[in-house]
Amino acid sequence: MSFSRRAFVKTLGIGGAAALSSSYIPRAYDLPSFWTPTLLAQEGPLLLHNNENPLGPGDRVLNAIREHIAPDGATIGRYPFALTGGLARAIAQRFDVEPGNIIMGTGSTQALRTATQVYTSPTKALVTATPTYEECTQYAQLIGSAVVEVGLNENLELDLDEMAAAARGAGMVFLNNPNNPTATVHPEDAVNGFIDDVLTASPDTMILVDEAYHDYVTDPRHVSQIPHAVRNPKVMAARTFSKAHGMAGMRVGYMIAHEDTVRELSPWHSFNTMNTPGILGATISILDTQRLEEEAARNTEARQYTIDWFKNAGFDATDSQCNFIFVKTGMNAQEFRDGARENGVMVGRNFPPYQEEWARISIGTLEQMQQATEAFAKVLRVNATAAA
Amino acid sequence: MSLSRRAFFRNLGAGPADSASREFIAARGREALVNEMWRSGLSYEEAEAQFGPPPEGAIVISSNENPLGPGPAAYQAVLDGLDQWAGRYPTNFRPSHADLMQTIAAKFDARSENVTLGTGSGEILENAAKAFTGPDKALITADPSYMQAVSVARRHGHPVKTVALDANLRLDPEGIARAARGAGLIFLCNPNNPSSTILPASDVEALVSEVQRSSPDTRILIDEAYHDYATDSAHQTAIPLALRTPNVFVARTFSKAYGMAGLRLGYGIGHVDTIRTLAQWTHVFNSNNLANAAAVASLNDPAHLEQERARNTAARDYTIGVFRDLGFEAADSQTNFLFVNLGRPASEFRDACRERGVMVGRDFPPMENTHARVSIGTMDEMRQAAEVFRQVLA
Repeated sequence: MSFSRRAFVKTLGIGGAAALSSSYIPRAYDLPSFWTPTLLAQEGPLLLHNNENPLGPGDRVLNAIREHIAPDGATIGRYPFALTGGLARAIAQRFDVEPGNIIMGTGSTQALRTATQVYTSPTKALVTATPTYEECTQYAQLIGSAVVEVGLNENLELDLDEMAAAARGAGMVFLNNPNNPTATVHPEDAVNGFIDDVLTASPDTMILVDEAYHDYVTDPRHVSQIPHAVRNPKVMAARTFSKAHGMAGMRVGYMIAHEDTVRELSPWHSFNTMNTPGILGATISILDTQRLEEEAARNTEARQYTIDWFKNAGFDATDSQCNFIFVKTGMNAQEFRDGARENGVMVGRNFPPYQEEWARISIGTLEQMQQATEAFAKVLRVNATAAA
Repeated sequence: MSLSRRAFFRNLGAGPADSASREFIAARGREALVNEMWRSGLSYEEAEAQFGPPPEGAIVISSNENPLGPGPAAYQAVLDGLDQWAGRYPTNFRPSHADLMQTIAAKFDARSENVTLGTGSGEILENAAKAFTGPDKALITADPSYMQAVSVARRHGHPVKTVALDANLRLDPEGIARAARGAGLIFLCNPNNPSSTILPASDVEALVSEVQRSSPDTRILIDEAYHDYATDSAHQTAIPLALRTPNVFVARTFSKAYGMAGLRLGYGIGHVDTIRTLAQWTHVFNSNNLANAAAVASLNDPAHLEQERARNTAARDYTIGVFRDLGFEAADSQTNFLFVNLGRPASEFRDACRERGVMVGRDFPPMENTHARVSIGTMDEMRQAAEVFRQVLA
């Protein structure tokens, strides 16, 4: 038994361990590889560090994949060329766009990289926030493009005015809405105003809006930029199947843009990067709006429980519109993370410059969050019962 | 018809037999063309009808796939993975990326630091072109050979020098070494796609030594996608050579003998200095959980690989005999496909076979007027295909 497992059992007691084994508890990446999946399912810490959907994909998705690869996996031996069209059509149907508006790839990150490749250079900067999702930043640095990082405002929101000002003459602006790791969202009028500001002052600048967490947003003032992207060749909207669709392990994402933009990007976008189970799963999942709504509702409830727990314990979180929260624990993020780990919960990494007081915690199932808050109570030395 | 669609047809010409579309397919593949066509306004149905999936019930021997898919252990690993872990990123899944890299490394007495994963070996090839070629650092490749690294180098505007195959459709190591002086990267597909031939291990070693002497900064990428199908004892993997030689690295794929083309997994392996540079370009979470699980299961089941090699060899020998009986000689295939001199355009043969329910390979310029590529399916499929070949070539 590993140290963390011992600590975990000690924390939860016998009843806790029993409850744990009956629920979906994923395993951690650094457990010994010889453990069987069954063992790991019971013994791993709670994984609240990667903003995953704790339930994974729905049965409709899994059954479609099982059926396709049955009875012996022979179809896995074939390249998925013939399946990609079906996914493009399904996405097009879901958003009332044309297949020619869509770029698909290995997670949304492939499209993020392609856009960075095409639209940034040593003289055409990437303008982005810090902290935000870093794929574009890292790829821009890799290919030698200029990068301008704009800090957040005092509410831990993207500083749209500063970003618009920095975008003059830039190649591309990256707008993560909602923003990872701060969980905040900008309403429709603010984003539209931002896009107008950027394009008025700098008409050649591209704007990439990453909507990875869109399906978890509950603020009614938020809208997707997909309709805008289809009309405006300067705007692109990226989406992923890794979050609310629960398919992080299957690596599929896409971007929607004007046909001319897609045509400009596609020669730089590697083909044959999606796998058969991922393509099939995504094709089913994108049209399964019922499950998506159920997943959003499930997340909202668990998120509210977690935010309330922290609030009652005296810790404020930002207004999360995601499947994670960004909370001011007042404790160094690594210290909090190590403490949580000791108590069987993994939480997010450091997000400078907020690492001294803020932590990112992904939202698992309600049951998982109830267990996790017991661990957080220990780490933060608060009375768990009082907080609940 | 939309304006852009008209423009596209104007660019491409009339239809699938047109030379512009053939060139497009040759350079970037059929899937890319389908995508390009619907982006230009053609409906997906129309694009697919012309360039897309094969007709129902067709024998598909066009993409050098393993007709049986992965072995039972790998298939079971996929099913197990689906049961619980599809929702987790690969770092939170067992086997993880790290587990897979360790399993691969162990197979070659190497360390994880010697290995980098890719979405198919295609990503390794593309990353190699990005990392090691430049405006004044050319890519050297045989012609015809596998094009993925070439496409990326050209897209970036980096020079590409091609070296013709010899009379036996083998790579020309002397020509390649001569062309490589000052180059950024040599791409060596061994066995070579589409010509199916090997460069013997002794020639590979001689080529590497020569390049190290004459052009010490040039990297050498040896693509061994078809290694597991080679039966000629003169062929050996270059992985041990790569592990001890900075600048040399090998790409492998799970898409061929391992039967996992639909799962998209490959890897690069070599000296840690080269792999470290290459790995900087690795796309985050580039291989999916099911692929990782199936790959580890496959690597732990070497008996199944032996079985697949034997199955392919028998069907390959049979098919070589079929063409020989018809009076056509294939190159000495060490792969799961044949490259046959039919003395007529590949498109003619391909269209005639397609009409009869058999899909064979695309054009491979500059040999598209004489040679066709035929993948090896199951023995049963090859027997049925042989009937069609007899009709078409009679």
